[in-house]
Amino acid sequence: MKKITLLIVSAALFASATTAPLAAQEQPISLVGDVKVEKTVADEAGQPKTVLVDPDLVVPGDRLIFGTDYRNNGAEAVANFVMTNPVPAAVRLAPDADADLTVSVDGGASWGTLAELTVTAEDGSTRSAEHADVTHIRWTLAAVDPGASGRLQYPAIIR
Amino acid sequence: MKTGHQIHLPLVFGAAATLFGAGAAHAEGIGAGTLIENTASASYDDGTGPQTIDSNTVTVKVDELLDVTVTSLDSGPVAAAPGAEVHTFEITNTGNGPEAFKLTANPAVAGNDFDATVSGIAADTNDNGTYDPGVDLLLTGPATTAVLEADENLTVFVLVVIPADVADGDESDIELLAEAVTGTGASGTVFSGQGVDGGDAVVGLTGASGNALGGLLVGIARVDLVKSASVVDPFGGTSAVPGAVITYTIRAETAGSGSIDDLVVSDSFPAGTVYRAGTLALDGTTMSDAGGDDAGEASDTGISVELGTVVAGSSHAITFDVTIE
Repeated sequence: MKKITLLIVSAALFASATTAPLAAQEQPISLVGDVKVEKTVADEAGQPKTVLVDPDLVVPGDRLIFGTDYRNNGAEAVANFVMTNPVPAAVRLAPDADADLTVSVDGGASWGTLAELTVTAEDGSTRSAEHADVTHIRWTLAAVDPGASGRLQYPAIIR
Repeated sequence: MKTGHQIHLPLVFGAAATLFGAGAAHAEGIGAGTLIENTASASYDDGTGPQTIDSNTVTVKVDELLDVTVTSLDSGPVAAAPGAEVHTFEITNTGNGPEAFKLTANPAVAGNDFDATVSGIAADTNDNGTYDPGVDLLLTGPATTAVLEADENLTVFVLVVIPADVADGDESDIELLAEAVTGTGASGTVFSGQGVDGGDAVVGLTGASGNALGGLLVGIARVDLVKSASVVDPFGGTSAVPGAVITYTIRAETAGSGSIDDLVVSDSFPAGTVYRAGTLALDGTTMSDAGGDDAGEASDTGISVELGTVVAGSSHAITFDVTIE
């Protein structure tokens, strides 16, 4: 009895320990996210200067830069690379974000540049979408070659 | 002082490192302690079919912003007379986390005609907007509000006593100052670890303190009584001879500002005269001699007229006739 039990346990361990890493290794693409906060500090001459620092101290109104580094670690090119970033509810897309960004204002159901999108109110009336309406941002690359990497980022203001 | 200046210089250099951007906030900001989490995901085709992958999740914790505003809720200067008066203010926590505020009332504001004495600061405990002695909690030593949630406001009363020697028209302001208990300072000043959930607390654009003025305007009304007489004798002249009729006019002039309550004007008939029944009049309107039916009353010895509440600037004329015996 004892031997059988041990055997089953070790088999289960082997299965669970190997499945996840194997799946990860199979992925040629890696995504590494980071976030910085923009702060205006006084330089030595007393002039305000904008710097990006780790977000150890953030308050409403602060400007965050969310970034994601992608890289193709595989030997083959990948196609139809689409990276999607849901915008956290506690922030709004900054007004100076790239106007050509492909965004969604309805939870990812429909996409376009902000200027192309509208928001429908409960009473059925529509208005132009604003930065604060953006729920998702999407970047599309036709292909990512082996060894190729890049960074996609967006600025956001804490509500 | 030179010594003081030398001590101050290092502080100035320290302030240069202060973060400017910290306070650019809306009053209704995301609550302190909120975790902002961002995760990207990608889909692609690696030749074997569609694949998806998530990035790591980055997390930002929102720190506590210290901000406060103070507003006078008095519709204008509080009409005041010597004695106790009440100022009403509203304290609003415009930060994004729970915070208590220390209150200081300063009655000695530059330009005051007189300075009132602050006798206490009370919170509007029963939330009815009116100071109720014994019900609304007096804030003591030092006066500090309860913890207010973000965007919560509190009505407070500053109780003052106006000195006896004030003059009509004197004006005086009271300043109420509210300061975050965690601390105050230049926008961007950080109180490390003193915010919500062990986060930092940061002074916002208000400097974590707010103040407002409440005005007092002294209104003191004063009544001047002016009595005059005209005589008509039985012979068509104006001699004060037996049988002549004297018409007395008592003019009650109310000057200053404010009003006077329960004003009663009374007068006695001079010796040697007899009241002519039915001649008592107020502002040209005859009144009965009996008491209780109108404002006027005449007895064997004199007249009495109840003018009630008279406002400053008003004037009333009381007339009656007597006959010289």
